[in-house]
Amino acid sequence: MAADARAIIAGLGGVDNIIEIEPCITRLRTEVRDAARVNQHALKAAGAHGVMAAGNIVQIVVGPEADTIASDIEDIIG
Amino acid sequence: MLTPVLAPMAGAAISLSAVPDPVFSQAMVGPGAAIDPAREPGHALAPISGRIVKLHPHAYVIEAPDGRGVLVHLGIDTVQLKGAGFEPLVAEGDPVRAGQPVVSWNPADVEAGGRSPICPVVALDTPASAVLRVAAGPVHAGDELFQWD
Repeated sequence: MAADARAIIAGLGGVDNIIEIEPCITRLRTEVRDAARVNQHALKAAGAHGVMAAGNIVQIVVGPEADTIASDIEDIIG
Repeated sequence: MLTPVLAPMAGAAISLSAVPDPVFSQAMVGPGAAIDPAREPGHALAPISGRIVKLHPHAYVIEAPDGRGVLVHLGIDTVQLKGAGFEPLVAEGDPVRAGQPVVSWNPADVEAGGRSPICPVVALDTPASAVLRVAAGPVHAGDELFQWD
């Protein structure tokens, strides 16, 4: 099952917490304003295989559908 | 059915757990193996026959007609190179044969840029038990790297 774009946005702390989101082939690399608002459990519940956070950079492992999910997220957050 | 998965390039076959990236070393996207490539310009080959379903300059996924997908990632953190030094030889959607060249690159350049040129080869979305007879040590391009049950 592909990870859910809206649930990922929520797990990242909402639209206004996301500075940038970039897909690599297996993961979404995101930069957030406030890392404390990121909910790793929510991201895993949204379909992520894993989450790695270092400072304000959060990498969400979603598998090879990363491109599709990133464009879904960009459509939603504009 | 056993699907042979070929080494995309010459080098040393190593365990996925030795890859310096937790996504691969913890098998988050699937089991497999990795190649520590020979430091020479060359072509990264298709590990299985199928269709190119994802093609980035630095990584590609080939899906067999039975739905099995194999990911080849050329070096670690190479998305940051934004394609520089990688030349795709096919297009997304193209059919390819196992052993066919997919991307032209040079592992020595990746390493000179401060990144690991190690190439994970991953059997996507499958349990670890489905990957058998994983090679270890020197391999030629096109040698069997592992079998996917």
